[in-house]
Amino acid sequence: MSWTLLIDAVTYSCLISLMGFGLGFVRITTGVWNIAHASLVTIGAYIVFISVALMGGSPYIYLPLAFITCGFVAFLEYITIIEPLRKRKASTIMMLVATLSLDLFLFSLLNIGADYLQLRLGLPSKNFLLRSLDFNFLEFPGIFWSSLLLLIFSLGFLHYLLKHTTIGASLRASISNPLLAPLIGINVTRVNLFSWFIAGGFAGLSGGLLPLWMQGKPVLGDSLLPVMFCVVIVGGVEEVFGTFIGGILVGFVQILLTSALALVFGTAVIPYKTLIPMAILVVTLLFAPRGIIGIEWKKVLPLLRVR
Amino acid sequence: MEELILTFLTDLISLLAIYFILNLSLNLELGYVGIPNFGLVLAVTGGAYVVGWLPIRLLMHIYAIDSSLSSDILKNNVIIVTQINHYLQRDPLIGILTFILTLLVAMCMGGALGILAAYPAIRLRSDYLAITLLALGEILSIIGRNYEPLVGGVIGIMVPDPWSWLGSIRFLLLPIILLGIAALTALFLEILSRSPVYRTFKAVRDNEIAAASLGKDIVKVRISALVLGSMMSGLAGALYAFYSCYVGPGVYGRMEWTFLPWLMVVFGGLGNNKGVLLGTSVFIAFRKLIIFYKEAFAFLPFDVVWMEYLLLSLLLLIIVILRPQGLIKEKPRYTLPRDKLVRISQKFHRKRD
Repeated sequence: MSWTLLIDAVTYSCLISLMGFGLGFVRITTGVWNIAHASLVTIGAYIVFISVALMGGSPYIYLPLAFITCGFVAFLEYITIIEPLRKRKASTIMMLVATLSLDLFLFSLLNIGADYLQLRLGLPSKNFLLRSLDFNFLEFPGIFWSSLLLLIFSLGFLHYLLKHTTIGASLRASISNPLLAPLIGINVTRVNLFSWFIAGGFAGLSGGLLPLWMQGKPVLGDSLLPVMFCVVIVGGVEEVFGTFIGGILVGFVQILLTSALALVFGTAVIPYKTLIPMAILVVTLLFAPRGIIGIEWKKVLPLLRVR
Repeated sequence: MEELILTFLTDLISLLAIYFILNLSLNLELGYVGIPNFGLVLAVTGGAYVVGWLPIRLLMHIYAIDSSLSSDILKNNVIIVTQINHYLQRDPLIGILTFILTLLVAMCMGGALGILAAYPAIRLRSDYLAITLLALGEILSIIGRNYEPLVGGVIGIMVPDPWSWLGSIRFLLLPIILLGIAALTALFLEILSRSPVYRTFKAVRDNEIAAASLGKDIVKVRISALVLGSMMSGLAGALYAFYSCYVGPGVYGRMEWTFLPWLMVVFGGLGNNKGVLLGTSVFIAFRKLIIFYKEAFAFLPFDVVWMEYLLLSLLLLIIVILRPQGLIKEKPRYTLPRDKLVRISQKFHRKRD
């Protein structure tokens, strides 16, 4: 296996894990599949792109801005759309439709913005790549190090947040029993707002990193939406850390299997690589509908040994 | 100007008919049975690909088109389609039979894709199922973009026009034909909605456990509805391909063929066909009007199509928050006419007294 392939696999896995994390996190905390998460990823990419184009410097210094902005958009989404619908006891499908409408709204705004930047400011906003602005460390591109470190940091941060802070304890309580949590004094709305801010922030962070690795465009997030869903479902929807496992698995299998198939059948198979996450999804649903994290390994492993 | 208005109207009616069929299929799946099919685009694309693949090969065989051309259908696509259309201008019977046969195959393809997508996911909870279908909806589009022999890869393929024998009135009559097919589909659903099948569908939607306790096979019912809905989606995809005389993977995207139908159905009102018709009409008319008056918005520093999405999504957000049941609320349907039920009830009470 070449180093380039390994770098690609690690980078892609880390990026889709980070993207999928926000999607899975709000699903666990509030029971909502946020389709607008795709647009939040794209907003993150555009914040970094516009900042670099107007103010210059490294794309990395604008990542906190992408985090805060996207976190704030998700925060607003919760206050203006999700919370009113929850109060009306709307079904999960109606929530899904509401987030879909918001995604379309944000998608239109992104396209309007991209058109404006291109026509009035002359920026290549419909197709941009920031790879030339990336650094190299130990002969590996910066995006490899940054996505890997960000993933490790996120895991550490989440672990600390959930296990050692009051808000983390409140989050766990409201996840395990949202009806009982208010009875012990937890402000569920505040906890949910916090989780939406964090999820939006992570979407912004991963979106901000994406143009360093692939072409940025208004459909960037939406084109990755099926993969994000695959990551969440394959990892396991009921566990916060399941998404990270799903992301690593889907990313590695997609990159390495495509490469292996290309060696056997030629390069013609490469464009079909986006089918691999869907194949993993189907296999997961057939054999482990609760995702990898939901597999009871104590029961499965002895069976495998006998066979 | 008159010609422009006529083109606008024919285009409007055609799109309305096609989207009405598609939205009825979503209403059947979501409104009647409660299956949140976020993978509508899969069956639509399947139906369209049948139109891109089948009629050209079939008609080449029937009209014995030059074998040197048939060796590379994609490269010689324009020449072949022109020759076929030339023959079809004098052969209405073959045109109509090809049209009907292709639509039937497209519906079968849609149904088969519905089963394929549903099988691994049909037992899942509603939101889970929605997300899975959304992810799987992309499969055919990816294959179509990359496997050129199917429908010409990213460039796409021109399709023979089975209605070319209509000559200059084709553009006037085709919308009426499409409208007729849409009316037949609506009639079929109306008949279905007065049958015991519909009541089984509703029972599964409203309370799966209660329906199962009465002996209904939930998985079988859901798969049947999904197959029926996917057949209708396949029909819509095929009709659009015939209408535009072109099939290309770029045309069949998730936004246009999954997300917009969802918005239209939820906007109009779930579970009733009148709501679907209203939602479809409002959305399609609004879209076409914006495109029709596109030049009036030329001063804007962006493509006006984004304003259309912006306004429609905003409108739907307001509807979802303020009136989640849509513009027309679903009404309960009775197994017998209302007056007959009243008479039976009165008779029953008289006997008891």
